[in-house]
Amino acid sequence: MSDAEKGAAKGTMISLEKVRKSFTRGREQLDVLAGLDLKIEEGSFDALMGPSGSGKSTLLNLIAGLDQPTSGKVIIGGADIGSMNEGQRAGWRASNIGFVFQTYNLMPVLTAVENVELPLLLAKLPAAERRKRAEIALRAVGLEDRAGHLPSQLSGGQEQRVTIARAIVTDPKIIVADEPTGDLDRTSADEILKLLEKLNTEFGKTIVMVTHDPAAAERAKVVHRLDKGVLAN
Amino acid sequence: MGLVTIAVRNIWRNKLRTVLTLSAVTVLVIFFLLLRTVIWSWTASAEQGARDRIGTRHKVSFIMQLPRRYVEEIRSVPGVKQVAHASWFGAKDPNHTDDFFSTIAVEPKEFLEVYDEIKVPKDQVEAWKQDRQGAIVGDVLAKKRGWKLGQKVVLQGTIYPGDWEFHVSGIYTADSPTVDRSTLWFQYKYLDESRAPRLQDQVGWIMARVDDPGRAAEIAKAVDKKFDDRDIQTLSMSERALQASFLGMVSAILRLIDVVSFVMVLIMGLILGNTIAMGVRERTHEYGVLRAIGFLPKHIVLFILSEGLALGMLGGLIGLAIGYPFVQKGMGPAMEENMGAFFAFFRVTPELVVASFFLASGLGLAAAIIPARTASKLEVVSALRRVG
Repeated sequence: MSDAEKGAAKGTMISLEKVRKSFTRGREQLDVLAGLDLKIEEGSFDALMGPSGSGKSTLLNLIAGLDQPTSGKVIIGGADIGSMNEGQRAGWRASNIGFVFQTYNLMPVLTAVENVELPLLLAKLPAAERRKRAEIALRAVGLEDRAGHLPSQLSGGQEQRVTIARAIVTDPKIIVADEPTGDLDRTSADEILKLLEKLNTEFGKTIVMVTHDPAAAERAKVVHRLDKGVLAN
Repeated sequence: MGLVTIAVRNIWRNKLRTVLTLSAVTVLVIFFLLLRTVIWSWTASAEQGARDRIGTRHKVSFIMQLPRRYVEEIRSVPGVKQVAHASWFGAKDPNHTDDFFSTIAVEPKEFLEVYDEIKVPKDQVEAWKQDRQGAIVGDVLAKKRGWKLGQKVVLQGTIYPGDWEFHVSGIYTADSPTVDRSTLWFQYKYLDESRAPRLQDQVGWIMARVDDPGRAAEIAKAVDKKFDDRDIQTLSMSERALQASFLGMVSAILRLIDVVSFVMVLIMGLILGNTIAMGVRERTHEYGVLRAIGFLPKHIVLFILSEGLALGMLGGLIGLAIGYPFVQKGMGPAMEENMGAFFAFFRVTPELVVASFFLASGLGLAAAIIPARTASKLEVVSALRRVG
């Protein structure tokens, strides 16, 4: 058992060990992450900060199982993401990860409750059960009265809350948020951050958030600063 | 809610584009229906020709005449039951010179025996037989011209110039929809006695009914053999083949219509493909989100194929909803009335309706295959980076 796997057994939810991620651009090789080690405890709320191009989003993609490392190990909740194929990672993501994106990424043709229900289509649940769970998630973010609204009929803050409801509807262990307040005004941003805090403290979700916003980072329990593909702190 | 429901809703994301695409598909489906009906209608009479009738014409060309005595000689061929001859007259109504209808000279008794699908009331048949200038006309032609029983009709001859007076002795109907009900059949005696002596006792073609349809080809050979050593040799064939040989003149046009109808199918596919490809390109980011939350490439394929299929089905249904009544209630009766000689029965067949619907649906599905494959192969991270 490697150190990372041992860590997972001790309550470490996310463990990255000597993770490298390189991209090839033409003849040039670009090392975005250069042998990075990181541990995030179960039930923690961690922020990833750093300048543009520092590797924050790449790191988040690896944690979320959207991408694979060039080398090194990525262990999430005891599962070795690097050894999974795309199909296995998709199934793993569906049950373990909730996504919150900067631009909300709701389906414009679906109502709020239908958007929240979307990840449950993969769960082979009866339609009534899917709808019930989606309504509960929507209630958890305080938008039960907007269930029948299309995204175009919601404000930015409301759209982001629907995204959070979609992220928690499958009851994942981890929520990854990529600049969740990037497109919002201060008031709406505060509401979203409060909601994330609530998910962390009341529901025990492990949250990893990429942000440029120091005010958002202040809400996190741990802040990791990245620079040129390595952790600066 | 399921992936297919979302795909169908996606069709209406860009309403203008969808309306334009559906309009194009609708117009193409209507033209496809129309062109295929032209081909079907033109060839239907040949395909539905009686199996127990053989036709005999001049071996060189059907525009050349046969001696009338051949009628009796064909009657004596074993297996032949009844024989009738016919001669193309070619005449026009001087008041409607642009309107075409067939005018053919026959012996009434023999003609009605061989063509028993033509129905004329008995008293009218008798009247026709008694009147040298008598003629029977199809009910479609009679209605169009407003001709009544006993009415005098003067036509201008084209092959045999001059004014020719006929009397409407009878109005015929038919028990087969492919029978032309816009023809004027008149007494051969009237034609023959009125033309120059050197042209007399000649007929255009001879039709014979045989007692065993299975032996039609063999009997046709026996007929031709009978005239092998004569100055004027014959070419006999089944009624279907005979009518097909008449159609041979227009086969190039039919082939062209055939090609054009399939070019339309191709255009329909390209229009649908373009619309689907544009929609997929714009929504790449959304497919990235779906993949991120756990959907597999196969789900993306299903999603896009459903959209293509729904678009094709919708276009096909709208096309049929407009095209079917347009051809069936509008163009069909007009064509039968005005061009009955070529299009005796101009209607959309149920098979064509089904084929058009499945063709439009299938094209929608096929047009979505490449965009679906492309979208499903995108890496999640790349798709998420794309901005629609």
